[in-house]
Amino acid sequence: MAVAVKTQNLPLIKKIRNIPKEEYYVPGHRTCAGCGPALQYKLVAKAAGPNTIFLGPTGCMYVANASYLCTPYAVPWMHTQITNAGAVASGVEAAYQVLIRKGKREGELPNIIVMAGDGGSVDIGLQAMSAMMYRGHDALFICYDNEAYANTGIQTSPTTPYGANTTFTPPGPAIPEGKKLFPKDPPQLVIGGHPAVKYVATASVAYPVDLMNKVRKGLNVQGPAFLHIHAPCPKGWKFNESKTVEIAKLAIQTGMWVLYEWENGEYKYQHKPKEYKPVREYMKLQGRFAHLQEAHIAKMQAFVDAKLKAPGIPVEIPLPAPGAEA
Amino acid sequence: MAKEMVLSGCAASAQAAKYAKVDVVCSYPIRPYTALMMELAKMVANGELDAEFIHGEGEHAQLSVVLGAAAAGARVLTGSSGVGVTYAFETYSPIAGGRVPVQMMIADRALDPPGDFGSEHTDAMSCRDQGWIMGWAENPQEAFDNCLINYRIGEDHRVLLPQFVCQDGYFVSHIPGKVVLPEQSQVDEFLPPYKLPHPLDPKHPVSHGPQIRPDQGTIMDLQRAQAMLDAPAVIKEAIEDFNRIFGRKYSPFVEEYMTEDAEMALFIMGAHTMTARHAVKHLRSKGVKIGLVKLRFVRPWPTQEVAEALSKFKAVGVIETSTSYGGAMRGGNLLHEVRASLYDLPQRPLTTSFMAGLGGEMVPLKEFYYMADILSKMIKDGKAKKTVYWVGFEAEA
Amino acid sequence: MFNIPKEKEVPLGCITPAPVTEQPMMITGNWREYRPVIDQEKCNLCMNCIVYCPDACWQLNEAEDEVVWNAKYCKGCLICVNECTTEALSKVYELDFADGVVRLEKPF
Repeated sequence: MAVAVKTQNLPLIKKIRNIPKEEYYVPGHRTCAGCGPALQYKLVAKAAGPNTIFLGPTGCMYVANASYLCTPYAVPWMHTQITNAGAVASGVEAAYQVLIRKGKREGELPNIIVMAGDGGSVDIGLQAMSAMMYRGHDALFICYDNEAYANTGIQTSPTTPYGANTTFTPPGPAIPEGKKLFPKDPPQLVIGGHPAVKYVATASVAYPVDLMNKVRKGLNVQGPAFLHIHAPCPKGWKFNESKTVEIAKLAIQTGMWVLYEWENGEYKYQHKPKEYKPVREYMKLQGRFAHLQEAHIAKMQAFVDAKLKAPGIPVEIPLPAPGAEA
Repeated sequence: MAKEMVLSGCAASAQAAKYAKVDVVCSYPIRPYTALMMELAKMVANGELDAEFIHGEGEHAQLSVVLGAAAAGARVLTGSSGVGVTYAFETYSPIAGGRVPVQMMIADRALDPPGDFGSEHTDAMSCRDQGWIMGWAENPQEAFDNCLINYRIGEDHRVLLPQFVCQDGYFVSHIPGKVVLPEQSQVDEFLPPYKLPHPLDPKHPVSHGPQIRPDQGTIMDLQRAQAMLDAPAVIKEAIEDFNRIFGRKYSPFVEEYMTEDAEMALFIMGAHTMTARHAVKHLRSKGVKIGLVKLRFVRPWPTQEVAEALSKFKAVGVIETSTSYGGAMRGGNLLHEVRASLYDLPQRPLTTSFMAGLGGEMVPLKEFYYMADILSKMIKDGKAKKTVYWVGFEAEA
Repeated sequence: MFNIPKEKEVPLGCITPAPVTEQPMMITGNWREYRPVIDQEKCNLCMNCIVYCPDACWQLNEAEDEVVWNAKYCKGCLICVNECTTEALSKVYELDFADGVVRLEKPF
């Protein structure tokens, strides 16, 4: 299968002052005030530039952005089902490969970016995401992680943290922690299992220049790339909307979110704290954790401690210290 | 120079896609349509066809991949059978409503449970309300022709609808028949290049499918209904053109066989039409005044043409190779629409239906003779005793 | 064949034009309770407000070397106030302003 040549090399941004001015995710969208996913979308669109096509599966970044009969995307964008964004993007990429090869389209392969939520990436959308990674399409799959099915009113998803209160995992006497399950690790699902993937990275709205550079690296690479972006949700996580970036920073400072890149089989870390703050600092600011008892927080701390030792999910989910059980 | 080959329906469909210079194909294996994809894979591998051959991860993915490709400006082909067709169901409305003219070849297969590789029309018929053009081929030649005809109809800017191009599994998809292959120049004359009004192109940004309010939903539905109202004229044009360029004699919507002075008729579509023709010919030689009306398009349903064709008979037997459990006629899907077509006529023929060929069974000649017998009795009695006969399983004659 | 009032029209296939610099069909300036106010003297052009606004409501006016606020779309989330490195930004009650936007009685 011949590959259309992509010669673009989006330069990495050195300083925040050098961030490109143009907006491709323009003002005028119905996302919540302080929406983390909206913030990352703006940054991604800015980093990608005008030669871009977005695929938007159903989720907050579809419904909230596209109500009603209008969108904030200044570049081509198409709605997909929550199930199939990876597949539709694959089709767009295949079309451009053959149309350029046959001389029916001029210019370069555009940036083809899937903007999927956690559900559309690793739950209902997992099959399509994996297949896109496997088939080697020259496209970028972004999982914006607000750790729930937010658009439908905050229901648990596979990336919802242990102990979170969602409308499908409400805490109560029978289930004191609310959510009992520990989350999937999206980049780890991609790394190591998909031979064609060249670049996987995590990012956060807390570090926008790092985020934009990772978008550009993912787009520059020939082949599929996967980006996992932490995008706090004021409504779902129950915190004041002015604190979106603060919460995102705390996630990194407590180890709840780790910034890294995986390229050519090697891991590189960014903004690694010298000392990690206890997870309770992060959790106490969010209403979704307000019901948790000491034993649950201890369990979460143990999970984070184990995970910080190496990428991926600890082989055993650690139990809290003896005597601390609720 | 046109050349004649003996091809299965699957191979014929693959040839047609090659002539149509399809750009993107998305495969996934399921019996019995798989041979279509195997043929196309070979063509791509040996350089006969310049297309992206994408290995979909499932049927739902197949439809999703070709939706993306078609929306970006490529002519596409996918296909499936049986539960593969129903697995992809979520995608059908978005594709039709998004006005993206995707083509899907369906080689029918009975739906699970359990596994049954035999042909039954229920798989495709279950999807007939999703807004796609839909019709059946009787033989490999028609399978070849329908592929080209449907690209022409679906891609026409007055229509812009996707198409289910159906053929009976095994009876058409696998049993070879004579296919006259045209010159590429004939196809180029008949089928203009693929061109969407608003493809996904950074040079002309558009937003494809933003959220709408419920009151806007009605308008979307109206638009889609309008497309089905506009399609028949385009179909007629396309068939006329096709006949002229390729020398065929297709009637756009219904084809009549030995219906002059017939008192009764069999209404049928798909593979078993071939056997039915032999039955009708034999019965005619015995003096039975019977004819046959073959349906080529289920969507848009040719209400007027069906009414006109059937109005001249005293009794019509609709052959059902699909099921509609709990439906008004307690049988298949076609009788409902036949009766609806006939409803406003001042004089309506008696109608009944015959469940035949289900599960992939053959329909032997004697079953058609049985049907003719029932139709005769109906005319004598002046009424239909039943609305549905499960042929071969009825307790009494 | 059908009589569709102009305000209810939906483009074919629900394919709408893309916006260029703003989406005026979704004006959100009437959402805010507080508006961010800048003291330009204190601003050191760290760019935080520009970068961290989900609605791109702070932009850099390079000629004047100052940041400019978009009143039409700002939702008043106050991330910018929270992230300002020099306390140049502060929040002020929207209705304290003569041009303060009142919430609509019914949604858009």
